[in-house]
Order: sequence, then structure tokens, then C-alpha cells
Amino acid sequence: MNIGRTLAIARKQFLSVRHDPRTLALMLLAPVMAMLIFGFVFGTKPEHVPVLVVNGDSGKLAQQFIDNIDHTTLNIQNSTDANDAKNQVTDGKKTAAIIFPSDFSENTQPQILGPGKVLPPKGTKVQIFIDTTDEQLAAAVTQSLAEAGQKLVSKQNASPVTFQTDYAFPKAKDARYLDYFVAGIMVFAITVFTTLLTLLAFVGERSSGTLDRLKSTPVTEAEIVIGYELAFGAIAAIQGILLLAVAYFVYHILVVGSVFLAGLLIILTAIDAQVIGVLISAAAKRESQAVQFLPFIIFPVFLLSGIFVPVQSLPNWLKPFSYILPPTWSIDGIRDVLLRGWSISYVWPHVLILLGFAIVLSVLAVLGLKRKE
Amino acid sequence: MKYAVEVKDLIKDYSKEVRALDGATLKIPEGKVYGLIGPNGSGKTTMIKILAGLLAPTAGEVLVEGLNPQKEKRELHKLIGYMPQETALYNELTVKENLELFGRLYNIPRKELTDRINDLLGFVDLVKRSSTIVANLSGGMKHRASLAAALLPKPKLLILDEPTVGVDPELRATFWARFAEMQADGTTILITTHYMDEASRCEEVALINQGKIISQGAPKEIIQKTKSENLEEAFLKLTRKGGDK
Ligand SMILES: Nc1ncnc2c1ncn2[C@@H]1O[C@H](COP(=O)(O)OP(=O)(O)O)[C@@H](O)[C@H]1O
Ligand SMILES: [Mg+2]
Repeated sequence: MNIGRTLAIARKQFLSVRHDPRTLALMLLAPVMAMLIFGFVFGTKPEHVPVLVVNGDSGKLAQQFIDNIDHTTLNIQNSTDANDAKNQVTDGKKTAAIIFPSDFSENTQPQILGPGKVLPPKGTKVQIFIDTTDEQLAAAVTQSLAEAGQKLVSKQNASPVTFQTDYAFPKAKDARYLDYFVAGIMVFAITVFTTLLTLLAFVGERSSGTLDRLKSTPVTEAEIVIGYELAFGAIAAIQGILLLAVAYFVYHILVVGSVFLAGLLIILTAIDAQVIGVLISAAAKRESQAVQFLPFIIFPVFLLSGIFVPVQSLPNWLKPFSYILPPTWSIDGIRDVLLRGWSISYVWPHVLILLGFAIVLSVLAVLGLKRKE
Repeated sequence: MKYAVEVKDLIKDYSKEVRALDGATLKIPEGKVYGLIGPNGSGKTTMIKILAGLLAPTAGEVLVEGLNPQKEKRELHKLIGYMPQETALYNELTVKENLELFGRLYNIPRKELTDRINDLLGFVDLVKRSSTIVANLSGGMKHRASLAAALLPKPKLLILDEPTVGVDPELRATFWARFAEMQADGTTILITTHYMDEASRCEEVALINQGKIISQGAPKEIIQKTKSENLEEAFLKLTRKGGDK
């Protein structure tokens, strides 16, 4: 082995990076960004899970129970109306409603009738009305309540608190993490593949001269962008059918709502992903440069769009980044449809937001295509 | 006389350092086969892209078929056929599929389009290759397919960027014969080339060097004016003269 020749090869590599400062920046930045986001996302457990407490207890014990609850994990708000509290859970606004009966104090503590005459507590049940479609949030609720109950037992010499659990979405009573996860992974796969394919296709259009040829014909930039959207929308429809079929027949995922509505959300996801690809393509002259952008699509979508960890549990400063990612909305919408069984009358905001992204991004893409050197 | 192209004091800066066109002025009479001749890097492609409305000029005036390529490109694009210097075809599509695509962008009726495609495939000698994926064609074949795509809309002004590179002499002769035919039908043809010997086939030429038009007129006139044997010698004399100034 010759050191001089070996160093010459190494030097060439450094030189080519030096002539392409963006590559250098990306090489240094992408891993740092990935590590930071990974840490923030997986380093957190669910926090501020929204729950409503209806304290109907005529004594003081329920309040002590409530004070024992870990207030970082659960974001507790009070309500006086049990039915309204439950409705808020079925509407997806809260993860659970916790309802204390009026005899909670009375029947949780031993009854002291006189000196030496102590009757064991009769026992009563705290009612939990819970949304189990997000397994992690539901687990955070039940765990916090169990812990608070134990503290009460040890401090107040109370009898163990028992819970009566009712499900806001009975069909999703036994939802597994997989059921929750599938929507995320479908959207992730479609987003990354569609963005990558469009990105490469458009970089190809630019570098091969076909874009110039297209632009010299009567075709308009809007027709080019919409033409691409039609194609990728159709491809996404087929991809969506395949993915849903695998999810259903192989993983036996829970499907409560309309598969077609889920499919619509998937198509919108693909269209958003496609336009993002067109937009990024303007910044890349060659395929090799285009590929460098991938980590900047993959990591944020992977970590921030709620695939693994509910957006709910992200640190507050990270949440806005989640909300500007179209996949966040499609994943949430698809979960609402598949697990909660919600119809268009509930998920129309998701559809509108995804459509809004598509329109705004398309306009930007058209303007980008119109731009000339 | 009517002009298909009128360019005055055209300047194009790609960046602070790179001035690709440096006050170029030129007029192309309607119905001519016109050559834009100059060495590599002299600004031919830049000029053509500005004429086709694909690049914005930094300064100067441009009229193509009486239209401003920046402001009236929709109308302009119905009138021109453009063959880029790169092959500019979809590699994954067959020759025929490529031609059908570009034909549809001009809204040519289906029946008419089929006829035109068959005619053009014959002309560029690709009938047997019409169902071949472009990626699998040789360089020369790709070039011919690309030319066919530019001829498809039967344009009023045909703009060809180095159409004869990598084309063998026999086919080159066929190309020029076709250009003459189209010209007889009233088409204006603008061809760039860095082959000086091809220039003699043009009725008029403009010699371009470092972004400036250094001479314009019939090739014979330019040769006589500079007392040269051929256009190549004339070009060298003209550039040297430019350098002396
Ligand atoms: N996109 C571009 N960015 C920067 N410089 C360019 C670009 N395209 C061409 N140039 C420069 O402009 C000059 C003219 O190029 P071009 O018009 O392609 O010449 P020709 O077609 O005659 O070979 C050259 O110096 C070339 O390097
Ligand atoms: Mg050129």
C-alpha cells in the first residue's frame, strides 16, 4: 500500500466536498438533527394527557385522590357534568373522564362505629370513561390513576380503590399498539416514496432537458404540476389499497370506520408529498444532491408526525413542527377513521387541512417552475 | 421584410462573473434557414433559450414572431418547435410514446398525430425502433428522435440547438434536404452549430463569439468581405480583429 496514493484518494474526497459546501453542511447537520429529534421524541413519556374529573364525592377523600395524581402526566380539568365529560371523550377532545361517585369517601374508608368497633369499607368504584385508540395515552391514564390509588391506600388507610372502566370506542377496547402504529407507517411509507420518486423525476426533468422541452410547448406549469398530481394520486390509491389489505389480512388491524375515507386521506397525503418533491427539486441540480435532502424529509416525518409517539406528548416547542407536516394530519385522520370509526362529518377538518396544504404547495410549485434563471 | 426574430443589445448574465451574452444584436428574416455559428461556450444555447422564453434576459430587446417571449410565451409556444441541445426525451418511454406525448401537448387531433408521427419516423429513419425505449437507443438515434419531436407541431419557427451533432453524414444530408423542404413551405429555421463547414448550407448566418455577434449575412458575403477561403478562416480573422481593437 502506498501512502501517497491513498492520501491522494482521501484528498480528492475532501476537495469534492469543499467545492460543494451544501453537501458538507448536510453531512454535518443531518446526523445532529436526527439525534436531537430522536432524543426529544423518545426521551419523553406521555405528558399533559387531557382528562376531565367529575368529583361527585360528598366527602374529602376524592379530592385527596385527585391531589395524588401526577399532574405532569395528566392535565386535569374539572367538570360537574358527567355526561358532558363523556361527550368530550367521544369527541376526541379528552383522553378520559374520571367520575367519582358521591359515596366515594364513605365507602372507601373503614367505618368507625365506636371504640373497637370498626367495619371494613364497603368499597365503591371510580368510573373511568376512556379512549383506548391511542394505547400510550390510555396507558398513561390508567397507570397514573393506579399510582394515585395506591398512595391513597398507604396514606389514608383506605381500602384499595377499584375502577369501573367504560370505553368511549368499544370496538377499539382492545386496540393494540399495532393498530395505532399501522396508520403511521402507511403514511410514512407513502410520503417518503412519493416525495423521493417525484424529487428524482423532477431533477431528471431538469437535468435531461425534458423540462425545457415541455416549457417550450403550449403546456402550462399548472398543467405539469396537476398532471403529476393526478398520476401520483392514482398510484397512491393503489398503494393505499395494498397497504390496507396487508394491514387487514396480515396484521388483522382494527377497522371500525370507512376504508374509503382512509383511502381518501392516503391519496391526499401522496399529493402533498408529491408537491413537496417538486418544490425540493428546484434546489437540486443532480440526483446525488436530491438524495441529500432525504434525511430532512425522513427524520421529521418519522419522528414528529405522531407515528410512534403521540404529538400530544411532544415538548411544546416541537409541536408546531408537527403541525406543519401534512403527514401529522393524515395519520391522525386515518386513526380517527379506522379506530374510532369517525365519518366525514368528524374528519372533514383533516381533509380540508390536507387539501389546503396541497393547494398552497401546488401554487408554490407552479411559481417555482415558472421561475427562470 | 418581415423578421421571425429581432434581437437588440441582448445581455445575459448568469452571475456576476459569467456574462453569456454581451450586447448581441441580430435579425432573422422570415422563411430563411438561418445559422447561429460559434465555438463551444460562445452563447448559442443561451440565445436560443431566451428566444424560446426559457430564460429571462438581463437586458435588451427580444421579439420572436412579433411576440415578447417573456410576456407572451403562451402564444409564442404555439408557433415554435424547439429541439434542445440535450436529447430531452423521456428515457423510460418508447420513441413513439415520447412523440405522442409531445404531440398531445399541442392538441394535435389523434388521427392527424398518428399520420405525422409515422411520417416523421420515416424521415428520421426510426420506423423499426418506434417501440424501443429511448434509453436503449444509440446517441445518434436519440438525436434523430429528438428532432422528430421538434418537427411534430409543424411550427412556424423551428429552433434547433446543434441538431447535427453525432449524426452520420448520410443522414445529415437528409436532414438538410428536409429543412429545405420545410423552408419552401414557409417555415423559418434557426440552427446552431459549432461546425463551420455546415454553415454553408444556411442562407444566412450570424457568427457569435464570447456573447457578441461578430458578423451577419450570407456565408459567401462574409467570406468575400474578409477575403478568406472559407467561413472558418473568416471567423478567425474576425475574432482576431475584434481582439486587436
Ligand atoms: N446555467 C448556467 N449557469 C452559469 N453559466 C452558464 C450556464 N449556462 C451556460 N453558462 C455559461 O455561459 C456561457 C455560454 O454558454 P452556452 O450558451 O451554453 O454556449 P454554447 O451553447 O455556445 O456552447 C458559457 O461560458 C457557459 O459556461
Ligand atoms: Mg450549446
